[in-house]
Amino acid sequence: MGQGVEHTLSAAESLRQAAAARSSAQRRRRLFLLLPAVTIIGIFGLAPLSIALLYSFLEPGTYGGVEWVFSTDAYVQFLFERDIFDDSLIFNSAYLQIFARSFGLALFTMCGTLLLGFPVAYFIAARPPEQRNFWLFAITLPFWTNLLIRTYSMLLIVRDEGFLNLTLMKLGVISEPIEMLYTDGAVLVGLVYSFLPFMILPIYASLEKFDFSLLEAGHDLYASRAQVFRHIVIPISRPGIVGGCALVLIPSLGAYITPELLGGGKKLMIGNLIAMQFGSGRNWPFGSAAALILMALVLVAMMISLRAGAEKESRHG
Amino acid sequence: MIDARDVTKRFGEGASAVTALERVSLHVPEGSFFTLLGPSGCGKTTLLRLIAGFELPSEGEIALDGEVIGHLPPNKRPVNTVFQNYALFPHMSVARNIGFGLEMLNRPKAEISATVEEMLDLVQLGAFAARRVDQLSGGQQQRVALARALAPRPKVLLLDEPLSALDLKLRKGMQGELKRLQAETGITFVFVTHDQGEALAMSDQIAVMSAGAIQQVGTPEEIYTTPQSRFVADFIGDTNIVPAELLGYEGDKARIRFAGGQAVLANAASATLAPGAVHVAIRPETITVCDAADEAALLHGTVLDSSYFGAGSQMRIRLRGGTEVQAQVAQPSPTGCEVGLIPDTSMLQVLVD
Ligand SMILES: Nc1ncnc2c1ncn2[C@@H]1O[C@H](COP(=O)(O)OP(=O)(O)OP(=O)(O)O)[C@@H](O)[C@H]1O
Ligand SMILES: [Mg+2]
Repeated sequence: MGQGVEHTLSAAESLRQAAAARSSAQRRRRLFLLLPAVTIIGIFGLAPLSIALLYSFLEPGTYGGVEWVFSTDAYVQFLFERDIFDDSLIFNSAYLQIFARSFGLALFTMCGTLLLGFPVAYFIAARPPEQRNFWLFAITLPFWTNLLIRTYSMLLIVRDEGFLNLTLMKLGVISEPIEMLYTDGAVLVGLVYSFLPFMILPIYASLEKFDFSLLEAGHDLYASRAQVFRHIVIPISRPGIVGGCALVLIPSLGAYITPELLGGGKKLMIGNLIAMQFGSGRNWPFGSAAALILMALVLVAMMISLRAGAEKESRHG
Repeated sequence: MIDARDVTKRFGEGASAVTALERVSLHVPEGSFFTLLGPSGCGKTTLLRLIAGFELPSEGEIALDGEVIGHLPPNKRPVNTVFQNYALFPHMSVARNIGFGLEMLNRPKAEISATVEEMLDLVQLGAFAARRVDQLSGGQQQRVALARALAPRPKVLLLDEPLSALDLKLRKGMQGELKRLQAETGITFVFVTHDQGEALAMSDQIAVMSAGAIQQVGTPEEIYTTPQSRFVADFIGDTNIVPAELLGYEGDKARIRFAGGQAVLANAASATLAPGAVHVAIRPETITVCDAADEAALLHGTVLDSSYFGAGSQMRIRLRGGTEVQAQVAQPSPTGCEVGLIPDTSMLQVLVD
């Protein structure tokens, strides 16, 4: 009798142990399965970032590279200039201006792609499903060509003897070619052109399942067309708009090829500034610092906009 | 209230044009529960969309309270719609959905929230005001759609098969609820369905439609007991349609004769048919079964089978001409037996083809 009880007790104990062993095996397997993702994030995400962080606190080597001496000069240099005679710090806004211009251009690019991209995304979403793939294909087709080539062809279009000026002159709209190349306008057009699909695709994704009878419902409930758009279409496509804006704003901040070619490299943008530090500038720490400052600004901007979005959401509830 | 005059609606151009409605004229009385009944594709939704303003008539005009509204956009018409798929705004709470119409009409905030409260009570969803609409069951969404359309107090409420997505039990419940809402608010309801049971149970008036035209308008009882055309008789319930010979008209009655019987007087909607072959509607519950040799028998046939349904039995009888009819009787005759049938002649209805 007593033995029987002991027997069942130990059976329960061994069951528990088996379950524990099983769950720890499961845990090990789960970790193992996570390994590829962790490795990739580590190698391609965290490692370069750590290197940049490290370099930004070192001194530049004479022929590029870094000297292994701790220094905050790279960050100081961003805002101040060292007087050559007495070594005192003088405020210098040159780099800030570059940042400001880049942000301005990136914001304009974002607005431009939004204004052009939203109607396009809406148009595609309103097509019958069997036609949509064709339109999406047409939107992404230019992206099978290299960005450099596309930017060069843009250059051919906007330069003084380019397609645009020649056409306008033929039509008699202008007598002299308008100087378009190597202006902020040309850079803006180039950026809008190259980032347009990054706006269209997320907005399309958010409108893909859009129930168009909601438009009729809104119209039926005394909303004008503009009100239907404001109160129904925009809020429902908001995730796509926010995503598209982030996808355009962030990379266009660091755009390099387009400002270089269409802006003639005359006016520096962040991307060119950073690239220059690793090339002819031979100041790797400053390049790293500029890249990190850019990243920090973007993160802060994103956090603010996310919070604003969440507040708006909760207010409307 | 609503008057449609010779309304024609065509979709498309030229050879591929589809005529969804052909010279439809209709009068919907104020404060009534008016039903458009007809098979799929007969143009019910199209007529409703013309009244709502989502489509413009190709010809003819639509008037509301005597004023022609055919040219007004939907947001300028005091008409609201309950959509078949509800079309609730997924990004808004239940309360904001219901208040949306009033919000667009720029009513004061206090009035909006008071009306929303009232509507939530009316459709018994008080506890759900703050919920997102995708967190509701189908029946609850249905009631939100109703409340949203009723909140601006439209002159007319249009309902396009609002119950078709619900299961049978919920549907029966909602039928009663819709009736109650209509009575309580006094708003004119135009209700679309292809379910004749639903139409008969709920309506003050029914317009039976077929192939883009209105076949007959009347109270449920009129439609049920005196269908004027073969289509209506066929579509409403289980009437027997039996061939007969029209001999002529006598006053507002028609003199007819079934094969092998004597001539009798039957009801006729209008004296428009030429003498000759016609069809007559005979309701199963108006037939008396008698002995085959009975002098009074107007029709003769063989019993195919009979089934008990509680209040009586339903017999299937094959007439001598081959037509099958049903009769409801207290005491069924045995299968294979030769019988005579005596329909109540006051309930016979001559049909237009
Ligand atoms: N936008 C349109 N374009 C072309 N044809 C249409 C359009 N809308 C309706 N139709 C046609 O008009 C006819 C009537 O359609 P409608 O939707 O009014 O039918 P319904 O009676 O509501 O049918 P159901 O019971 O199936 O909803 C159909 O033949 C339909 O194919
Ligand atoms: Mg329909």
